[in-house]
Amino acid sequence: MLVFTRKRGQAIVIGDGIEVHIVRVGRDGVRIGITAPTSVPVHRREIYDQIRAANASAAASDATSLEQLVAHLRAKT
Amino acid sequence: MTVTTRFGTFDATDADVIDFVTPLSGFETCKRYLLLSSPQIAPFACLHGLDAPQPSFLAIDARRVDAAFDCALTDADRQRLRIVGDEALAWLGIVTVDALDATANLRAPIVINPARMLGAQLIPLESVYSIDHPLATG
Repeated sequence: MLVFTRKRGQAIVIGDGIEVHIVRVGRDGVRIGITAPTSVPVHRREIYDQIRAANASAAASDATSLEQLVAHLRAKT
Repeated sequence: MTVTTRFGTFDATDADVIDFVTPLSGFETCKRYLLLSSPQIAPFACLHGLDAPQPSFLAIDARRVDAAFDCALTDADRQRLRIVGDEALAWLGIVTVDALDATANLRAPIVINPARMLGAQLIPLESVYSIDHPLATG
């Protein structure tokens, strides 16, 4: 991993068109501004990880209770 | 073709194949899906991947889970999905089943443009919706 020391107001350029700006440095957090082409998705790592995990558990969901689940859901509406 | 999934057996044709311009996170190698429905599994549908590892998901209309569901599309999303004007889009939540508890992921919804048979899993930067919105099943 590349490690840089940056001060408030400074930035890092990645490839063509991606910039990471240090907006504010606090005691427990750093505020970062990112400019990137719209084709480059930018996500908070923990959200991205949660969605991967949710997709994985959905793909592994048990189908044996499906019939009951459908009946319950229909009964509710 | 006849498609067999763990949620049932369905009939589909090549014209039913949906190309995912943004595949589901964790399943990046699977870009072609079928959205399969049947009276047996309604109101669910089965989102079945045709490319390895051929994942199968239960999905549900996001507005059936939350009638007020709304998700903004960025210009880049609209371009990727080749959405022109106010075309009707399908919004789905991927369902996770744990015995009789089921939740739908409205945080990262599936959007399908039926006019072009293009789909995507969106991960909006900000969202008011939950990754595990409970379905009223209990």
